[in-house]
Amino acid sequence: MRFRSVIGLARVAWRNLWRNRRRTLIVLSSVVVGVFVLVLFDTLNTGMVEQMLDNQLRLHIGHVQIHRRGYHANPVVERFFRNADALRQQVAAAPEVRAVAPRVLVHGLLSSAYNNGGVQLVGVAPEAESLVTFIAEQLVAGRYLAAEDPEVLIGERLARKLEVRLGDRVVAMAARPDGQIGSEVFRVVGLFRTVSADFDRTMAFIPIDRARAMLGLPPDAAHELVVLLDDVRQADALKTRLQAGLPDTLEVLTYRDVVPLLVMQRDLYAEMMYLIYLIIGVALIFGIINAMLMAVMERLPEFGVLRALGMSEGRLFLLVSLESLLIGLLGTAIGWALSLPVYAYLARYGLDLAVFSEALAAFGVGSVIYPRLTLRIVWNAWLTIPLVAWLGALYPAWRALHVEPIEAMRAV
Amino acid sequence: MNPNAIVQAEQVTKIYDDGAVPVQALRGVSLTIEPGEFTVIAGPSGSGKTTLLNLLGALDVPTDGRVFFEGQDLAMLSRRERARLRLYKIGFVFQAYNLIPVLTALENVEFVLLLQGVPERERRRRALEVLEQLGIGELAHKRPHEMSGGQQQRVAVARAVVSRPRLVLADEPTANLDSTTGVRLLDLMEQLNREQGVTFVFSSHDPQVIERGRRLLWLRDGRIEREERK
Ligand SMILES: Nc1ncnc2c1ncn2[C@@H]1O[C@H](COP(=O)(O)OP(=O)(O)OP(=O)(O)O)[C@@H](O)[C@H]1O
Ligand SMILES: [Mg+2]
Repeated sequence: MRFRSVIGLARVAWRNLWRNRRRTLIVLSSVVVGVFVLVLFDTLNTGMVEQMLDNQLRLHIGHVQIHRRGYHANPVVERFFRNADALRQQVAAAPEVRAVAPRVLVHGLLSSAYNNGGVQLVGVAPEAESLVTFIAEQLVAGRYLAAEDPEVLIGERLARKLEVRLGDRVVAMAARPDGQIGSEVFRVVGLFRTVSADFDRTMAFIPIDRARAMLGLPPDAAHELVVLLDDVRQADALKTRLQAGLPDTLEVLTYRDVVPLLVMQRDLYAEMMYLIYLIIGVALIFGIINAMLMAVMERLPEFGVLRALGMSEGRLFLLVSLESLLIGLLGTAIGWALSLPVYAYLARYGLDLAVFSEALAAFGVGSVIYPRLTLRIVWNAWLTIPLVAWLGALYPAWRALHVEPIEAMRAV
Repeated sequence: MNPNAIVQAEQVTKIYDDGAVPVQALRGVSLTIEPGEFTVIAGPSGSGKTTLLNLLGALDVPTDGRVFFEGQDLAMLSRRERARLRLYKIGFVFQAYNLIPVLTALENVEFVLLLQGVPERERRRRALEVLEQLGIGELAHKRPHEMSGGQQQRVAVARAVVSRPRLVLADEPTANLDSTTGVRLLDLMEQLNREQGVTFVFSSHDPQVIERGRRLLWLRDGRIEREERK
């Protein structure tokens, strides 16, 4: 079919739309509302889900991590790297990097006078760590680490298990690279509570220098550099660039490599949005079928004349489905036009869901949600809604093209 | 078979079998239409005029007998091929519902050319030309509801001839018009026939219209009862 005849038919279809202005406006406004709701819902959902992931990353994982190659696959204490400070400065110089913190990590045992438990000991540089992660803000009792003293932060749950309080002493023990057992006494100075019970049961933060001393590591050693970016989406690019500039003994990972499950969970949440698309699509399609069917049935004699003149079935089908498609496209355009200012407002001031803040906190989200517009949403709304409109025209168009010209014109 | 014929019907019968009782609308009709004819099919209501025109116009197929259009047996063509034949070879003027209400006279005339895939500029030029020729250029930008019945039928005639079809079929084109307007429509058709050789076959039961035909086929109870030539 030649393109110019499609244009010509679209013009006729457009005029046909306005034959019954009221009916068209009703269908059109349902499409507009559908698109409006979809765009705001999807942008808010996307924003929330990304916030969720980001909050989880900012608890401990960060956006990018650097280890000695092989550490990630098998995190044993002897796989540390040297020159941690120089490396940290080099990474911090990258423009998209907001903060970098070194860590010494080891699995060990924490014992009180009453009980003991296996923990992940995390040696942190207190100042740098507080710039990268939220841990300093999760304290429910006591205070954050000072740089030098033998102090430990543990989760509320671990404290309960060990039956210790602020100010009590605990003994940390862990295997050293030299095969000996390192141990040291720490004073509990702070208790934290995060969204993750697991985290609160198994993590213990101590000053990095104490950790090095206890494990017999050189003073410039670290197991991990954690990097926080201005924008999580820059992680892949930074990884590629860093990896190219660093010696091969070091391995750069993004959060995707480190916590693929969290990323999957985010994608799953994002996909739940398609349920909303489905619901809105189904709600719209019945109105469209109904309106198009009425529009077709009252024009059967006219279609009979068109067929008699020699209009092919394909073109008649096209004419009817173009009418519906035009409503879909116009409605989508208006729906977008209306939703964008609201989006812009929310993107700036956020949507305060204080009522649900407890439920949201459980998901690791603050109570103010900022919508996020992505290319995926633009595509989805522009594709789904006109497609739904077109699908809604299929049955009416099928009725139209089964018109027998002589029958239709006889039925005067 | 007549090699000159545009359309030729041979012993055509048509039985409508969709109601409670089968209706035999045509009972063995044979006729030939040659280029340049100005033929009227006359007969009382229910005599089979519309049925016959529908068969000649490839809108329907006979129950028995054959219809050849330019030598081609219409029964051998698919629905799609018959639609194509109508689009390129036959012009139609119906009694009612002729024009697309949302289109202007000019656009209605253009519509056939649009379906034929003629480029927009040429469409416009040819449609305007035909409207001017038929003396209804001033109607070009009017919608059907802004025109009288007679004006609408003139536009329908313009649409029927704009693509220079081999044959124009008009089923009671004047039935909805008063007699003066009806006569003026016939003047128009006759002028096209005389000046441009457009072949017309139309039906009517109005004596004033029937007497204008140069060839008269009298239909009664599905048979050609008598034929006259002037
Ligand atoms: N689709 C159909 N189904 C059943 N019967 C039909 C159908 N079309 C026509 N008929 C019948 O066939 C006969 C011939 O009808 P046709 O319409 O051809 O007559 P006509 O000469 O055009 O009449 P009119 O002057 O009233 O238009 C009539 O008895 C009519 O009732
Ligand atoms: Mg009739």
